[in-house]
Amino acid sequence: MPAKRALIMHPKDNVATTVEEIQPGDPVQVSRGGEVRNLTAVEAIPFGFKIALEEIPQGAIITKYGETIGKAGRSIARGALVHVHNLEGTRARGDLEGREKR
Amino acid sequence: MSFLGYKRPDGSVGTRNYVLVIPQGIIAKSICDFVAGTRTIQTVDHGSGRTANDRERIARVLMGLGRNPNVASVIVHAASPGVGYPELRAERLADEIAASGKRVEVIDPAKDGGVYETIAKGMRLARMMVYEASKLRRVEAGDEHLCLGVKCGYSDTTSGIAGNPAVGYLFDKIARAEGTALFGETTEIIGAEHALAKRAATPDVAKAILDAVAHREALAKSTGLDIRTINPVPANIKGGISSLEEKSLGAIHKAGTSPIQGVLQYAERPKGKGLYFVDNWMGAFSIFAGYAAAGSNLVLFQLGGGGLTGRTLLEGAPSIVAPFLWCTANPKTYAMARDNIDFYSGTVIEGKEDPEQAGERLYRTVIDIASGTLSRSETLVYTDPVDLYLEEPRF
Repeated sequence: MPAKRALIMHPKDNVATTVEEIQPGDPVQVSRGGEVRNLTAVEAIPFGFKIALEEIPQGAIITKYGETIGKAGRSIARGALVHVHNLEGTRARGDLEGREKR
Repeated sequence: MSFLGYKRPDGSVGTRNYVLVIPQGIIAKSICDFVAGTRTIQTVDHGSGRTANDRERIARVLMGLGRNPNVASVIVHAASPGVGYPELRAERLADEIAASGKRVEVIDPAKDGGVYETIAKGMRLARMMVYEASKLRRVEAGDEHLCLGVKCGYSDTTSGIAGNPAVGYLFDKIARAEGTALFGETTEIIGAEHALAKRAATPDVAKAILDAVAHREALAKSTGLDIRTINPVPANIKGGISSLEEKSLGAIHKAGTSPIQGVLQYAERPKGKGLYFVDNWMGAFSIFAGYAAAGSNLVLFQLGGGGLTGRTLLEGAPSIVAPFLWCTANPKTYAMARDNIDFYSGTVIEGKEDPEQAGERLYRTVIDIASGTLSRSETLVYTDPVDLYLEEPRF
């Protein structure tokens, strides 16, 4: 089976953006410039969503475009979908601000 | 490179050639419904009960639209509810617009015999003004006369990896040609503000960028809410964007890599050329009217659309006098709404083009539409009302 494609935006990133519909068990090829990485999707990842390039422990920073896009709300396996269920935004979080004040 | 446009007395160059009737209301709407080639602004924000700052914002929008290079001449009527405030007096609006050398006519029900008579007078004037404007011919004009404004919306992950980078290439090209390029949406640079501040032309500009974000983020926190219940909006999340920071870091790609020359308020005209950040709100009904008032003679909406379903018809957002372009990099959006899309950069995702090649194609599309080819949304009569970006409480 040909590998499904995902794009990495910056060498520091620990996630890549899928540009095909991915099923559990699909091989995924992640390329940036001449560099190519291969991994296996552990769950379904829709077009345009993010796949973890490595295991990301709970609380660790998630990086895309070489910048912080949030932190892991729980530990994330290599090849897993990264989205709102396991990625916590860190900015403009009025809910957390309130909790800290109380 | 160059486009074909209409030279104005102040040296600016229009991509369109309208007669504008302001402010909003039954007089302006009636004239525009009756006379071809006219434009007006439709909004409920007429200034009554608004603070001086917000009244000045409204005035800035009206005067800016009048001064926009796409406007040949202007009719101002004196029947708006806000007209009693000094900022919004018809004579003040008319004088400021006329300073650009354009013909400006004032019509007033108190002097012209009532509203019916004023509408009739306006219709007669508008017909002759449109006729006079039509005698003007397009001439070759350099890219320094382009003033572009952009917003990205219904963003998904195709926006950050392909659509916005193509717009960024266009913005860099226009900035290099000493044209003007405006981007904004302050909420959507939260998380990306340091990258932008590094590109500021001066330390003051860097501080203004960081201050705008700090102010907006403090307001967001004061709601006590997780920003993700507001923005990224549901369509963004459905399109694969997981946090405001991710949205912002994708969004700033549309601003290219040029130095940022200044931070502008809504509807504020840039004092120089190059790339500017506008401290505005993302709403499509608000932002494009602000760009047009700041002098944009063409505006772009970079559409993700991964969260859209069934939207086979995309009406343009109100930009009043500026041609409005739909751009997308999402193959599904393009397949769904192909008739509406002026420019497609999904080729970058498909591996057929790099963002620079797509950006060069976008540039040629912009030149073509600036020179008179209609944008897809210009083939529709329908326009939405404008939601002016006013910030202060009303009383």
